[in-house]
Amino acid sequence: MLHTAWGIASLALTTCVVASVAGAQAPATAPPPWPTKSYRVLVAAEAVDQIATIRLGPDGAKVEHTTPVGMMLADPDGPHGLAFSPDGQFYYVSTAHGTPYGWLWKFRAADDSYVGKVMLGNFPATLQLSPDSKFAYVVNFNLHGEMVPSDVSVVSTDDMTEIARIPTCAMPHGSRLSPDGRKHYSACMMGELLVEIDTRELGVSRHFLLTKGKERGMPGAPAAMSADAHAGHDMGGHGLEAPKAGDPSCSPTWAQPSADGATVWVACNKTSDLVEIDVASWTMRRRIPAGDGVYNLAVTRDGTKLIASNKRGQSVSVIDTKSGKELVRLPTLRKVVHGIAVSPDDRYAFVSVEGIGSQPGTVEIIDLVRLATLARVDVGPMAGGIDVAPAMEK
Amino acid sequence: MLLIALLAALQPPPAAPAQPPATPLPRPAKIEIAPAKPVMYAQDTLRLSARVLDAEGKVIPQATVRWMRAGGAFEGSVRQDGLVESGATGTIPVVAVATVQGYSPINQRIEVQMVAGPAARIALTAPPSRLVVGQRVRLDAAVFSAAGDKRAERAKWGSSSAAVASVTSDGLVQAKAPGRVTLTATAGQASTTHTVQVVANTIASLTLTPATTEARTGDVIRFQLAATDGAGRAIGGLTPTWSFSPGQGLIEQDGAFVGYEPGSYTVTASLGTRSVDAIVTLRRRDVRREAQVVGRLPRQLFTTEEVWLHPTKPIAYLGTGSGGDRMYAIDISNPASPVVTDSIVENTRRVNDIMTTPDGAYLVFTREGAADRKNGIVVASLADPLHPKKCGDFTEGVTSGVHSAFVYAQPKFGTHVYLTNDGTGAFHILDLADPCQPKQVAMWKTPRPEAGRTLHDVDVQDGIAYLSYWNDGLVILDVGNGVKGGSPSNPVLVSQYKYDLNDLYRQVEAAAGPGFIRGTHTAWRHKNYVFIADEVFPAGPVKGARDASAFRAYGRLQVIDISKVEEPRSVAFYEPEYGGVHNIWIAGDTLYMGAYNAGFRTFDISGELRGDLRAQEREMAHVNTADMNGNVKNAAMTWGVVVRDGLAYVNDMYNGLWIVRMEPKKSPPVTP
Repeated sequence: MLHTAWGIASLALTTCVVASVAGAQAPATAPPPWPTKSYRVLVAAEAVDQIATIRLGPDGAKVEHTTPVGMMLADPDGPHGLAFSPDGQFYYVSTAHGTPYGWLWKFRAADDSYVGKVMLGNFPATLQLSPDSKFAYVVNFNLHGEMVPSDVSVVSTDDMTEIARIPTCAMPHGSRLSPDGRKHYSACMMGELLVEIDTRELGVSRHFLLTKGKERGMPGAPAAMSADAHAGHDMGGHGLEAPKAGDPSCSPTWAQPSADGATVWVACNKTSDLVEIDVASWTMRRRIPAGDGVYNLAVTRDGTKLIASNKRGQSVSVIDTKSGKELVRLPTLRKVVHGIAVSPDDRYAFVSVEGIGSQPGTVEIIDLVRLATLARVDVGPMAGGIDVAPAMEK
Repeated sequence: MLLIALLAALQPPPAAPAQPPATPLPRPAKIEIAPAKPVMYAQDTLRLSARVLDAEGKVIPQATVRWMRAGGAFEGSVRQDGLVESGATGTIPVVAVATVQGYSPINQRIEVQMVAGPAARIALTAPPSRLVVGQRVRLDAAVFSAAGDKRAERAKWGSSSAAVASVTSDGLVQAKAPGRVTLTATAGQASTTHTVQVVANTIASLTLTPATTEARTGDVIRFQLAATDGAGRAIGGLTPTWSFSPGQGLIEQDGAFVGYEPGSYTVTASLGTRSVDAIVTLRRRDVRREAQVVGRLPRQLFTTEEVWLHPTKPIAYLGTGSGGDRMYAIDISNPASPVVTDSIVENTRRVNDIMTTPDGAYLVFTREGAADRKNGIVVASLADPLHPKKCGDFTEGVTSGVHSAFVYAQPKFGTHVYLTNDGTGAFHILDLADPCQPKQVAMWKTPRPEAGRTLHDVDVQDGIAYLSYWNDGLVILDVGNGVKGGSPSNPVLVSQYKYDLNDLYRQVEAAAGPGFIRGTHTAWRHKNYVFIADEVFPAGPVKGARDASAFRAYGRLQVIDISKVEEPRSVAFYEPEYGGVHNIWIAGDTLYMGAYNAGFRTFDISGELRGDLRAQEREMAHVNTADMNGNVKNAAMTWGVVVRDGLAYVNDMYNGLWIVRMEPKKSPPVTP
């Protein structure tokens, strides 16, 4: 289980196991209706270079163990993105910090053993595997330094070889594949754009301008902009700071295709709404109001619910995809709400919350039927990347 | 935004989704790359090509092949069209990716060997220009490419007059008769010549001084050879061949000898048939002594990071990491019982570096891992030094994080903070004229491609900044010394000492695979030396290991002679048998080191330094800072040390603060 001896990790293992048992808290009302099935959730704690394995099942929710990731003892490696392969055999973690490049790590899901890694670009962040588990798509967020165009890495997962680095825009952020894996969508946090990649051509096929009042789809790749062109842009404390009044900027932070692939929703962190885009016509259908500082998105497999983390609002919204109405908004215990993963049966959403400073990170477990928070589990600080194992256990 | 809108307006209308071809193309099965085993010269270019085949081996002409680098980020680049552009010797993995409409991409990996280019230059190492008849010397010739890469081949030597001096093809010269002779070294198209004057052997006597020496292991003894003729006249310009026995030591061409083992050595200087010996008797250096742990301040909530002492008061400041958001102030007036008096809690998850202004009025600490990802430095007032208060910060341009900061005052220029930028590898200099409102006055980067630029640590002494530039080695800047006209607002490059980290730590790659962590990590100027230490960690875990104590660091401490600051030269080294070399502190003739999993160590660095310091038994003391109740149990991970009044304040990442006294050397018992 503990695949290595990277120093800090062995302590964290003990600490997190203890802390998680004590920290699994159910809301104060009725006794929690724990599920009859078992769910395995992985969450990356960026500040302490570890992956926590959370088990939700008939006995409740707790951290089972932690797995260290990284190789720089005195410097943070910064695990950020995390994803299971759809076949459930492996999971992958992007470490963002590097010297200067980050890496994509591959672990065997059965025993958390290290399989391999490959160096990618600057600050590899959000990642997802293709439906056949053969390819991993990782945005090189390049948070640091000048706002120069960055790219999306494509990795052949069998041999952990990077096979393409597709230029997109400055600070490509939250990204997801279409259900058939043919299209990859990523948000350009500094460029007001959604970018679509044709995964078979390994190139940008279309892009979409998201600024309020100027929404427009366009073919091909966006024109490369220099760092100077982004000089007036502000990343707003990575989505934490409120925008100026009347600012129409979207500052997109996540792109989420619908379950049928016909729609893409983009989270506009500054305008606190979602841009709903019709994939076929590449036009905007509507803007859906969302929570304050909407950040990451996930959609249920049945396509009916959209879950959104609200970074400034310290909450999670569940939105009806058809009507666009918010079904519920659930406050989170701690600040800096981050990633979302939905269980394979659409019953639960697992939301990572980074916390501030030395606060532990938290995973908020939301019952998508009862539309209520089921439990909270503390993990390492700066909890970000999160995913649920594709296969449930009885 | 206007630019985006304009570009949008110029774009054609949305295109219809691509239609699948009428007849499906064959499924790609294989990529054939040519050349199959590519080898190229470093800093040259090579064009790769490929054919995409289906399962039956037929070429698919509609296939598109793209190329990209699959590693070797610092050694070269690969263009999408298959042009490999080498930047250095080594191996660059390349992947060819074939796309055929309607199918997922397939890929084929290949390794391109990048070797030193053709011989373009031959460099001779201190060849003698004057020989006496009968003298034999071996000439050392190194062959380089036009790009400066050293080639493995040996130059072949020839003589213009074998009657005056013969030379074997390997460069062994024998002076035979008085006269002038030109010796030529050739390698490929490159050649160089060296003229030697052979003189009659009129040597009547040779004198080697000192003739007898008693010293300790590790002491550098400089020998001088004097030759005179029968009339007692000095014969100048001769270069002897040096040798010694037994073999545990080092003698260099300048006659500097250092022995590693106690005992008697015979040092010989030879000139033809004449030779002269000197006797060196070495006793053990005998510097090992006891160390005592005087006090402890265990820290368990976070890992422990930098320790720093107030310049005039018995107060320590201690950083936290691994989610640590605070810096502690600690009363150390009673070293046996350090007490935390206060802390500053900040928007950070690592306080990696701390330093006060020389007058103790202010303190600077670094921030990494902020919740809003706006990192930088914090300035705190030390008006009440046991209770520091934040009074300002600096984030502009360094939001990615600051790993190290050095506060330094110069009468001419005032007080500045010299700091590292995690994101860009740039070196920033901030003016602390108004301490709570630092203002950037300069920013400097190594003149190299952006890729791979990482700055890790800064030391400033006498107006010279010594930058530990990871892949770029030690970089020396004038920031006020004047040697190059530099100032804090105008840092000027003085020199650089760069070395082959991959070759130096090849055993780390062998042990745990490629992609390991290695770089120039810290520097400390002391006298005419700069001590630089590398940070080295293996790329992967120890397979099957389950305990923190299985983890280890590696590393080497090098002693760089900067007597000629524009020509830094490595003269000595220390490499632990087990463990790393992290932060160091030098007080007097003692070097104190946090050696990561090898604990806390101290070394005698008195006198001139040459060769292998560990072999010379210069280590003085060792404390294993493991703690059964540590943040990580039963494992040392010693970070560094600050020394004051005979006490070493040692911070261990896993175990908090240790206060250690190195006891005086006990006299040996008198044998009646």
